[in-house]
Amino acid sequence: MTDVVTTTGLTKKYGRRTALTDCTIGIPAGHVVGLVGPNGAGKSTLLQLACGLLAPTAGAIEVLGRVPASGSARVGFVAQDTPVYSGLTVGEHLRLGAHLNPGWDASIAEGRIAELGLDPVQRAGKLSGGQRAQLALTLAIAKRPELLLLDEPVAALDPLARREFLQGLMAYAAENGTSVVMSSHLVADLERVCDYLIVLVGSRVRIAGEVDELLGTHHRLSGARRDPATLGPGRHVVAASHTDVQSTMVVRSTAPIDDPSWSVDGIDLEDLVLAYMSEAGANGRDRVLEKR
Amino acid sequence: MIWLTWRQFRLQAWVAVALLAVVGIVLAITAPRVFDLYRSTGLSECTGGCDDLADAFRLQASTSAASAAYVLGSAALLLAPPLIGVFWGAPLVSRELETGTHRLIWTQTISRGRWLAVKLAGIGLVAVLAAGLLSLLVTWTSGPFDRAGDFGRITPLLFSSRGVVPLGYAAVAFVLGVAVGMISRRVVVSMAVTLVLVALVQLAAPFGYRSHLVTPATGTGTFSEERAESLWIDQGRNVTIKMEPLERGSWVLSNETVGPDGKTFTGPAPEDKCGRQGSPDKCNAWLKAQNLSQKTEYVSSSAFWTLQWREFGLLLVVAGLLSAFCTWWVRRRLI
Repeated sequence: MTDVVTTTGLTKKYGRRTALTDCTIGIPAGHVVGLVGPNGAGKSTLLQLACGLLAPTAGAIEVLGRVPASGSARVGFVAQDTPVYSGLTVGEHLRLGAHLNPGWDASIAEGRIAELGLDPVQRAGKLSGGQRAQLALTLAIAKRPELLLLDEPVAALDPLARREFLQGLMAYAAENGTSVVMSSHLVADLERVCDYLIVLVGSRVRIAGEVDELLGTHHRLSGARRDPATLGPGRHVVAASHTDVQSTMVVRSTAPIDDPSWSVDGIDLEDLVLAYMSEAGANGRDRVLEKR
Repeated sequence: MIWLTWRQFRLQAWVAVALLAVVGIVLAITAPRVFDLYRSTGLSECTGGCDDLADAFRLQASTSAASAAYVLGSAALLLAPPLIGVFWGAPLVSRELETGTHRLIWTQTISRGRWLAVKLAGIGLVAVLAAGLLSLLVTWTSGPFDRAGDFGRITPLLFSSRGVVPLGYAAVAFVLGVAVGMISRRVVVSMAVTLVLVALVQLAAPFGYRSHLVTPATGTGTFSEERAESLWIDQGRNVTIKMEPLERGSWVLSNETVGPDGKTFTGPAPEDKCGRQGSPDKCNAWLKAQNLSQKTEYVSSSAFWTLQWREFGLLLVVAGLLSAFCTWWVRRRLI
């Protein structure tokens, strides 16, 4: 499959602050991609570069085979905090979408609004956070993009609204085969819906890959205390923690680990992401892995 | 896009319509009496030496509500550009940036350049039309006053509120507001900065470039005591004389009373003629003997339309350049 987003050495600076450093990734089509990282890691920057709202400082980015430019019919975008015009009604937002997008699908838009129980004459400023996010998503979906970019769409939502939003998104993506890239600083939001993951920490991409593959190649090892350097070739220690007698490590290895001196466990997505985040934070030092 | 522009602008548009209606109604009520007086005093038919008729008209008209309406109309036209810049121009882009809705609208299938072009053209046109309507109304109803008063419509304050230049100021103020809003990205900041800048643009004309747009007339007049507008003699017996302008209602750029040597006449006045021992008659006789003359530079009221079109053209060019800057900025710099 071709890539929907390809970046080479992509760098974005705001004045002297670097928001994204030397990012080289290829996001394959047909996936629901989770872009995860702590606040300020560069997730919004990457997404805005991908929809042409920002221009790169250095490096190159191609989206659907082209240099991104805002105003493209092929890319849908839901910005952080899901902005809508507070003075316009729900119905007027749909009218706006219909006027400004040649590929507008009115039946999808109206269907979703009806399904969500939104009143078309209600002003968008009076909607709840969840309803507003749904309205913003409806606008992005009804223009029928090939690629849908969502920047922290569920950050402000309560758990129920979060689940409803993600379910709606999944249903749409599965039905239409649209590629989706969605950012969040919480892995829990993403692990149920994403099949591809990019971990972004401190303006750099730590790891990117399909979720199944990531889970298959990462292992949690625990056993008697020993130096991580003695682990052997082909095994990259992502994170390690030591007590006086015991060592626990998260290790990436394509080959299965069958060393009898270790007890080898699988790892869940959240622990995997946290391991990469702490690796970045530790600056090479061993650091205690904490969950939450 | 046109629908959206109207939808987001309609509240401001209705406010403008309401304000225009207020000024319009006031002028419509007072105008008939003004034109009645204009005819009944004979000023409307007068073609030369009309000063007495003008004084008669002013005497009667100044006591009526029409006089207040005349001031209101002129003030409205001077206030319109700042209001347009502050309330229509400045928030246009800065509000989108402040609320983050630019990320919503610029990711619809419309380029930023086109989005801005429709907004600039649409609202800019309304601004120019509104200013034009107001100017038409005010220029017409103020005609008799402008003719009768000491301040003709060529003078700085009235010139900016008559004819076609208000349309130019409306256009410049609007686009200037948009540009400031784009750069500052803050609604309140851009409104404040726009207010100051538009006021500066309005002041720049009379105090800066306007007199360079036409060749002012120069004139000399002989001194006579009847034509002296003011005469001061200070403690040091220095004399300051100001003569009436050569043309009533013209825009006087300089007006000096000079002695035979061509320099501004300052006296000194002799104590025995103009001092305590003297008398007004003695003083006047002495002044007459000094061979004084008036040297003045002024813009005649007959240059009104030439100057109007030139300044209007200049303002249109400025508005065009500012629009080009805004388009460039929204496409290249605003990220």
